[in-house]
Amino acid sequence: MWIVGKFGGIAKQIGRAVLVLLLVTFGITVIVRLLPGDPVTSLLPFGTPEQHDVLRKELGLDVNIFQDYWTWLKDFVRGDFGQTYTSVADGGVAVRDQIGLTLPRTLFLMLYTTVFSLIVSIPLGIFLAYKADTRTDKSISNTLFAFASIPNFAVGLALAYILGVQLELVNPVGYVPLTESVGEHFKSMVMPVLALSIGLISTFTRLLRVDTIATLKEDFVTMASSKGLSNQWILWRHVLRPSSLTLLTSAALNMGALIGGAVVVESVFAFDGLGTLIAQSIYYRQYLAIQSLIALVAVAYIVFNVIVDILYGVIDPRVRSHRGA
Amino acid sequence: MERDRKPIGFYLSTAWLGLCAFLSAFGDNLPITDWKANDFERAGAGLFSPGHILGADFDGVDMLAAVIHGTRWSIVISFVSVFVASILGGALGIVAAYWRGWLDSVITMYFNVTLSVPTLILTLAMVAVFASPDPFNPQAAMPRILVLIISITFVLIPILGRIARSAALSWTGREFVMVAESVGMKRRQILWSHIVPNVVPSMMSVGFLAAGVVIVVEGGLAILGVGTDPGQSWGSMLAKNRGDISIVPHTTLVPAAAIALTVMALNYFGDYFRARIDGRESRI
Repeated sequence: MWIVGKFGGIAKQIGRAVLVLLLVTFGITVIVRLLPGDPVTSLLPFGTPEQHDVLRKELGLDVNIFQDYWTWLKDFVRGDFGQTYTSVADGGVAVRDQIGLTLPRTLFLMLYTTVFSLIVSIPLGIFLAYKADTRTDKSISNTLFAFASIPNFAVGLALAYILGVQLELVNPVGYVPLTESVGEHFKSMVMPVLALSIGLISTFTRLLRVDTIATLKEDFVTMASSKGLSNQWILWRHVLRPSSLTLLTSAALNMGALIGGAVVVESVFAFDGLGTLIAQSIYYRQYLAIQSLIALVAVAYIVFNVIVDILYGVIDPRVRSHRGA
Repeated sequence: MERDRKPIGFYLSTAWLGLCAFLSAFGDNLPITDWKANDFERAGAGLFSPGHILGADFDGVDMLAAVIHGTRWSIVISFVSVFVASILGGALGIVAAYWRGWLDSVITMYFNVTLSVPTLILTLAMVAVFASPDPFNPQAAMPRILVLIISITFVLIPILGRIARSAALSWTGREFVMVAESVGMKRRQILWSHIVPNVVPSMMSVGFLAAGVVIVVEGGLAILGVGTDPGQSWGSMLAKNRGDISIVPHTTLVPAAAIALTVMALNYFGDYFRARIDGRESRI
């Protein structure tokens, strides 16, 4: 009964994920405490001692690290992510509002990048596997290998120069929300998405190619072709699904990593996403913001991981029986 | 199996990495233009212009001299951090795989916790922790390059450790290990004579890939403004010149090409060694 075993497994996995989350967030508290310099004087350089005391209390620096962590955790779970601090009198912004502004951008970026990379690499990977070891396969595979080695920010800079400056096709920097103008929104996403996709496309294609070549050697494929089914039908209906497991895992994990990991490409295109927000919080020593933002990214990443693991069994029933056994 | 005929990519990658190694060691002693000299008359010179084969940036710095000078620290940062992280991560991973039990749980948990924060964000945070503690006393700060090496090593340990663990796990169940155990060989001895020698090749192939990743990460950090001092590495050249890309694109593209070629060569080696390991495996 794989269902029973599966649910036991899922409960265990969720338990482990929660433990990882608690440890990550505590680890971030430790790192934030380790940041050099006195946060109170660096955030309020000209404040009076009384103001410093108030801020120290707000930042939880007057208590020990465990109490501080506990207070932060309670707030975080309730959805209160703290606020930023500035030396200007009008004070800071709620981290929640900052997230509200940057998260949609990052989610769009992540979604478009993944969808675009998959749309290109699935047919390409299948095609290369079908043509395995021919000259076409070799030349395309080698090109992909070369593309995988170019850093995404270098692709980004080159694109900004070619598409943005030379051809003037798109605005080199900035972001336009979907609600403002659909056309402009997609235009503003073209370059960051392309910059992030090129490396992913070559990784995805290579993964799918290798797995598909392995699947093509299996008996059920020989069976299908001896039944006289067309190559097209066999490739799309019989071969793609069992071959796509590694690809989908990798795509899902990459999505998790893109949530905060596209910092450099975001910075190249002045695209203020979540990654940029985190980088800025680190520069400006926004203690509560660092803590809440990194925790949020870690939550997203871990949740992705758990979902991927559960989906394994759905995509390839063979995994179920292997695990059940 | 043909042993001697290696694909052309192997020779090209060897040549490129050999050149990088040579330039890292002797680049500053070569009879070329000083990488700090400003030839303002020819500022912004294009590719293949006389006197500046790779052109010059807006400060009149010769791109060839700059890219040669940048080689050293790009390569050193990458190789040192990967080397140290392979040893530390490798040790943790092998110990976890061979002793299992609570030790394995603790080490795996440490890996998972660290890996759930995006690499670059964690590196940024580590750089912030180790960087200058006191703006009024910058002398007390650690050298920038050391900060980068320590931060990157810290981030690499769990990545390489997890790979070492799974590689070691695939060996601990093999017949020859069981035989060694059953004839009463000490666990420590088995570890050194049977497990470690088998894990090292996979670590080496992953190490090449990781070295490429580090070169890219260093470039990324530089673009975010926390890289090495200006001109010290390819990344900092990129960061310095990228504002001028619309006017003198080659000043950004030259260091970008240096990074891409090096990463390509490293990836090639990584793939090449992995294929050889797989080949050896399949013959068993």
